[in-house]
Amino acid sequence: MRSINPACKFAGLLVMTLVLAWWHDPVLNLAVFLMSVILILLSGTRVRSLFLMLSPILLFAVGMFFTGYRFSAGGDMPVNESTMLFADSAFVNGMTLASRVLAYGGVGYLFALTTDRILLVRSFHKQFHLPQVFAYGLLAAWGILPHMIQEYKRTRAAFRARGLRVFAVSPALLAPLLVKSIRWSEELAVAMESKGFSGKEKRSEFEPVRVRKRDWVFLLVCCILFPAAAAAVLM
Amino acid sequence: MSIQFANIQFGYSEGGKPLLSDFSARFDEKKITILTGASGCGKSTLLYLAAGIYPHNGGFLDGGSVLVEGVSPESLAPKERCRLVGMMFQNPELQFCMDTVRNELIFCLENICMEPDRMEAAMDEALAFCEISHLKERTLLSLSGGERQKVMLACLTLFKPKWLLLDEPFANIDNASAAAIAAKLRQMHEEYGTGILAVDHRLDNWLGAAQEVRIMEDGRLLPDAMDAARLDDELLEEHGIIVPGRSYRPSLPPAEEGDEVLRIEHLSLSYGKETVLKDISASFRRGKIYAIVGESGCGKSSLFGALSGICRYRGKVFLEGQDLKSGRGRRQSVGKMGFVTQSPQDQFVSSNVRQEILTSLRKNPEAEALSEEILRGIRLWRYREVSPYLLSQGQQRRLGVAALVAYDCHVLVCDEPTYAQDRRNTIAVMDALARQAREHQTALIFSTHDRQLARDYADEILILEGGELHAIH
Repeated sequence: MRSINPACKFAGLLVMTLVLAWWHDPVLNLAVFLMSVILILLSGTRVRSLFLMLSPILLFAVGMFFTGYRFSAGGDMPVNESTMLFADSAFVNGMTLASRVLAYGGVGYLFALTTDRILLVRSFHKQFHLPQVFAYGLLAAWGILPHMIQEYKRTRAAFRARGLRVFAVSPALLAPLLVKSIRWSEELAVAMESKGFSGKEKRSEFEPVRVRKRDWVFLLVCCILFPAAAAAVLM
Repeated sequence: MSIQFANIQFGYSEGGKPLLSDFSARFDEKKITILTGASGCGKSTLLYLAAGIYPHNGGFLDGGSVLVEGVSPESLAPKERCRLVGMMFQNPELQFCMDTVRNELIFCLENICMEPDRMEAAMDEALAFCEISHLKERTLLSLSGGERQKVMLACLTLFKPKWLLLDEPFANIDNASAAAIAAKLRQMHEEYGTGILAVDHRLDNWLGAAQEVRIMEDGRLLPDAMDAARLDDELLEEHGIIVPGRSYRPSLPPAEEGDEVLRIEHLSLSYGKETVLKDISASFRRGKIYAIVGESGCGKSSLFGALSGICRYRGKVFLEGQDLKSGRGRRQSVGKMGFVTQSPQDQFVSSNVRQEILTSLRKNPEAEALSEEILRGIRLWRYREVSPYLLSQGQQRRLGVAALVAYDCHVLVCDEPTYAQDRRNTIAVMDALARQAREHQTALIFSTHDRQLARDYADEILILEGGELHAIH
């Protein structure tokens, strides 16, 4: 999955989520989730770390299952006993909701864990014609994030040292953060410019991000084969 | 060839008083020149004009011209400009936009449209020149400040610019890295004929590399150049410049040793596998002044971070007998221990200058009158309605110290309180802190990498080395 062009991966998986939104079939959802997990593991993510990352969505899925199970659809709802042939409706209703969470979570993680952010932005620039000011601005902003967290802690400590009690996301805490991030972005912009970067000029490319045969195959699978297969099985 | 300023008229507000008025000067590429002077004298502004950053990114140029090698840098597109002038900034954390050293170098080369097949060789050459080939695949986030400045230098050597401009490049890094970079700059100057103009108000890191020192004062350049090998200490001191190895001559009343107020017992601190502080124990008494010295990255900021509760630590810290880790200790510590942070902006809590002081005085019935007195004392009364973020760095520092001193805390912990300040501000800040310690029986703990400052102001000097804290006399 890592070698798929990020822009194609994004488009393909987006279509896939739209298809998933159309149907509510627990088996389809679970199949997608399972497939995602397998692909993530094949791309070199360790089982332990994947499990840790998945735990919030697993918990959420369990929660959704019981929500669906407890408050199952009545007779006037589109999902009722007559359309669900193999199990009782409360269970299926719960499974439908829970498996949806899993399917979306799985696809999301599949994208996030197998995509390099630099490559993603460069590919968006190349394939989707995202202006390079935004593309590289995005990357630079990403670099500032760790600073923001450190800065937030510092600001909190400053308030405490002055004997002021503040709650976690108090506007008083966020104001200095905002002021600083504006100043940072100015400094960063000047630094980028003095390294020869400008939004308009043409640049050369060290490793051009291309769309290759395997990317077309991936798109074909996501945008045509997957909806077609789902339709064939479900309709 | 040279950098030539002719009749420059430049200010930061339109129609306001210009910072540089009818300024003319010429800097020759044959000599590595250091431009020095008190804070706010206009030396960095000059550098930004020569780099073509101003007036494009700030300020108003009302007349005059800047020519680098006969070309106006502002008229060039960034990718041509970076081959004429390269610029290195003060803050090593805010100069990069990619994740790894390699990607950052590629970014630079793509900007100047180098053909892809020549890039690898160019990168290796630049890294080898800066002696950081081993850092090529590292992420920028994992590098120290000194290493980042070296990477920045490697980026600049890629462009082989005719001129290198440096804005206090050593302010945030350790002495060893500073010396290594200064030596590299000298090598670039000699091998490639790169012209070098640097702004700094500390001269010690430049002593081996620089050839000429020029002094600026209030937007004017003093006519005489000084030979870097024979510095005129009197003249430098007169213009508010910190002279290597020269006393600050403070006048302090003798210490009246009070009770123990802060005790550290077996404090250890590590980030992941890296141990920063090892089993530190120390005791601090009221009314005394303590200096903590040590190289950048030795753990000074981590130690203060532990005291302020930003960093997790093992061991115990007692403030007036209360363990800071216990909920009760934390609650009682509020307001008893004040922190002056390295960057003054980190400690502001209010939206205007007066409010900043009033916050500290909120339990005092005469707060209004007292705040006026304090602000007049630090010459900030006319800025009382202004946001503290809009003040100059020196003013911010004065406000920060005044706000904490008004608070009457029992321990004042200051992380590099004189960081990036000129001699005059350094003395003003340290005098205010020292007075607080003596008059209000506050324990003052400050860190610095200026040994002279520590010797002049502290009753006790502690050195932090290899994660351990020792007293030196």
